[in-house]
Amino acid sequence: MAQSTAGGRVGGRPAGYDGRPARYGQDIGEPGRSPDAATGTQTGGQEPAGGGQPRQRADKSRVDEWMEVEFRFGGSRIKRKAVALVVLGAPALVPLLFMSPALVTLNSTTFSVSVDDTLGTGAELCLFVCLLVTPLVTLTGQRWFVPLRRWYGIMMACCAIGDATAAGITDNFAGGVFGRLAGHTFVLIGFIMVMLVIPLLITGNPWAQKKLGRYWKRLHRLIYLIWALLAAHLVLLEGFGFQRGSNGSGFAGDGDPVFHQRLYQYSACSLFLLVLRLPPAKRWIAARQKEGRTWLVYATVLPLFALFVFGFTFILNEEIFKGMDSFAEHPSAE
Amino acid sequence: MSQAHAPRAPEQTTAGRVILAASSCLAAVLVIAGLLYAAGTGQRHQAALAAAGCEPGLSPSGLPCTTAQMLASQYTAIMTPASQQLDADMAAYTASERHHLAAAEAALTAEVTAENTFDASLAGIEFPPAIAPMARALIRADQARAKLIAEQARSSSLARLRSFNHRVQAASAAVQAQMTLILKAIDTPPQAG
Repeated sequence: MAQSTAGGRVGGRPAGYDGRPARYGQDIGEPGRSPDAATGTQTGGQEPAGGGQPRQRADKSRVDEWMEVEFRFGGSRIKRKAVALVVLGAPALVPLLFMSPALVTLNSTTFSVSVDDTLGTGAELCLFVCLLVTPLVTLTGQRWFVPLRRWYGIMMACCAIGDATAAGITDNFAGGVFGRLAGHTFVLIGFIMVMLVIPLLITGNPWAQKKLGRYWKRLHRLIYLIWALLAAHLVLLEGFGFQRGSNGSGFAGDGDPVFHQRLYQYSACSLFLLVLRLPPAKRWIAARQKEGRTWLVYATVLPLFALFVFGFTFILNEEIFKGMDSFAEHPSAE
Repeated sequence: MSQAHAPRAPEQTTAGRVILAASSCLAAVLVIAGLLYAAGTGQRHQAALAAAGCEPGLSPSGLPCTTAQMLASQYTAIMTPASQQLDADMAAYTASERHHLAAAEAALTAEVTAENTFDASLAGIEFPPAIAPMARALIRADQARAKLIAEQARSSSLARLRSFNHRVQAASAAVQAQMTLILKAIDTPPQAG
């Protein structure tokens, strides 16, 4: 079979769809696994094999191939994929944009009141988009959007580091910089997350991938620890998800405590991202795709994806609401 | 078709099927519950506003109805960091007012900046009609104080610098009085605004 020559095949099986790790350089869609994927240089011939799912494979290849087509713009030749990636990647800059006026005017009030909500929530959104790429590859077989994983990972790190830096300078907790960064358990967990994200940011480039070799993949699995620590951070921040009077993010004064609870939002988003990473679930999806019953996969996963969208929408709503206030330098502490 | 391409045996994918089916059912229940809950958002919002003594129907057109909690939250959000900054600047001024003119002037300049930031933030809050005049009076008193401190910061000697202290204290008392009024007013559930 012609497709069996594709680089992603391990032991005659489509790499990554059987839950086993692929060799270095054979992207199976885990976050940041493939240098090619991370740098966006992967070509159609280097994609993970999908030979076991011929009909679907052909469809997906068409989308990826369509994205590879160049068009002329102002004397230059630009790939459709590049335009799509720029459009889809641009929102990652928005959290930093929201805080930029306060940075330019050195408005400590805005930083003190809303940097956690603007950059912290922005980092959470970027993390979820970064983690969303792998399940979408598993589901669709398309790979043209894989470079977004690296981009959103980098922006997640930038937002998180910006949040910690601003909080360390402007937060109201006692005990100086140390107290502001580690004076409470949830703040300490947030600080640990930022410390963990730094090596990922530093090594999130092709040169570091080449130098670290197989250790790069192991190092970048720290993203899963960060994901888990975010749960602990939110559990402690939100009083285990139970609203007590005005204590908790559910107290927005608009009568909707459930939708404002960050822990619920996190859980709604994480279920889809987690289940689609479980090897048995991936095996089942691969088997149905091989049988040509892709519709069954989509039908099964639809409620999970709907829940993800539901949770993500409210995080996004929070980001826009708080971010616009931060941009106007009239921070909201709701 | 090679053996490798044959569909997996059912037992190999049973666990995946169970995991996906269970999690999808859970997700479906949560989505439906969420949609049902979202359908009652309007009523809950009205109830929250009514509980806070705020009737949306009485709001001036184009202005949201602000609950007491929202107002208190917004006011505290700008008040707390501004107070901390001012305390730090005043402490820096007190430490250097007798022996270091440049440092004292720098502390006063920082104080003016903090006050202007506070005034700008305060002006951005949409206070209800009952409280809005108090907020405007507070901004006026604060600006008068900032102007006086700015003048003090331009002093050419330490003696001249300290000569402003009593006037600044009087201006601070005026600001404090307005702040007390606003805090008292916010404690009472406001009307539409």
